Amino acid sequence: MRIDLEDLLFSRDSFTLRGSGTFGAGVHLVSGPVGSGKSTLALLLAELLQPGSGAVRRHGVSSALLLLQFPEHHVTCPTVAEEVRSWGLAPEDVLLRADLVGRGDDDPFHLSRGELRRLTLACAVTRNPDLLLLDEPFSSLDCVAKREACRTIEERGAGITIIFSHERAVLPRVDAVWEIEDGALTPRGSVPDAIPLWRHAPPYLAYALREGARPENIRLSDAREALCRIRG
Amino acid sequence: MIEIADLRHRLVDIPDLAVDARHIAVIGPNGSGKTTLLEVCSGIEEPRAGTVRLLKRPPSAVKVGWVGEFPDRTLLFSRVYDEIASTPRFRHHPCPETDERVRAAATRVGISHLLDRKVSSLSGGEKALVALAAACADDPEVLVLDEADSHLDAGTAERVYRVVQESTAAHVLWCTQSMDAAAGADYVLFMENGLVQHHGTPEEVFSALEETCFYPTMWRVLR
Repeated sequence: MRIDLEDLLFSRDSFTLRGSGTFGAGVHLVSGPVGSGKSTLALLLAELLQPGSGAVRRHGVSSALLLLQFPEHHVTCPTVAEEVRSWGLAPEDVLLRADLVGRGDDDPFHLSRGELRRLTLACAVTRNPDLLLLDEPFSSLDCVAKREACRTIEERGAGITIIFSHERAVLPRVDAVWEIEDGALTPRGSVPDAIPLWRHAPPYLAYALREGARPENIRLSDAREALCRIRG
Repeated sequence: MIEIADLRHRLVDIPDLAVDARHIAVIGPNGSGKTTLLEVCSGIEEPRAGTVRLLKRPPSAVKVGWVGEFPDRTLLFSRVYDEIASTPRFRHHPCPETDERVRAAATRVGISHLLDRKVSSLSGGEKALVALAAACADDPEVLVLDEADSHLDAGTAERVYRVVQESTAAHVLWCTQSMDAAAGADYVLFMENGLVQHHGTPEEVFSALEETCFYPTMWRVLR
């Protein structure tokens, strides 16, 4: 299972995004500044936008889901239970997974931001698509909710998961890192080798690297463990 | 000076608080009342009970600049120039002065090249910068930012931080989910369930939060 980007080029007005590379099975983090084209790339990978030239080629990917940056944009039903059914899922399982048992009759817009995010993420993960695209899954969540989202992403065992995020404090364990900069998508490679090449790594990772530590993954706990190993 | 007495509004309950610091970070979980506190302090909402005084005046008598978390929901005009100009225009400044203020604010925020653009064509981060320029265009006495950095990358957040530091505002009330940003404030308020659970210098507040994830990541690795 993989997705190949072949000389992808997308332009609109003065904005251009180009990139090549392969997204294999596992969790990928695509980082980049605001306005660099992360959401555009998510739409291209979801085949909701067509590139000007080049191609997105899916191999062995039979289902795909894109979670939008604002979970309220997914809401189509007046109750939480109906919302889950609209995903083709049984409310009981999903509400359990989202820690929302007993909230099935609530209006989705009465859920807190963190709860609504948990709901859409639980729906997406339960659907278990081959390709799961998550556009800024951590923005505007507090650190407790970010950790829950990370756990849900890490627990997804199979398929290709691509996270588009500028998060700098709470991150999940990932398999590969990509960066978008100056209109180009660049693969930094597999973790941990990608970490020293990650130009906009979060401050705690950059600090660990400067100290000579070699974190095994990108989480704060990985940076601390690596620092402990060299500090003894 | 920001003085709060017997404040009760929605879930926020603050019996007595006086803060005489410039850069005040407001932190805490989602739904803890941070936005409500900022709304009351900026005069957007009248409190159900109690009083808030900024610079010894009620908030409605203070020039407040507000930057919300979702600029899409507060931007009113279709062109960037008109959005930034709305602040001086609503205060009836003459046209030449308005034009000067718009260009100065855009330069300070680094978005002069966007002035003729349509707001709808901007990215989320660019919209946040437009909202910041609009908030700063009339030199507010108090600048209020409600998780304005939630949708910003590090470079853009750094730019917002610099503009806020350089502003002439006597107080900056900044609600954020970035504990590393809050660690750089002069004073921190940690809210939970509508109450100010901890307040003081970053050192004082974060030492009480060391066992939680509300602790700056850089402090964790530097220890």
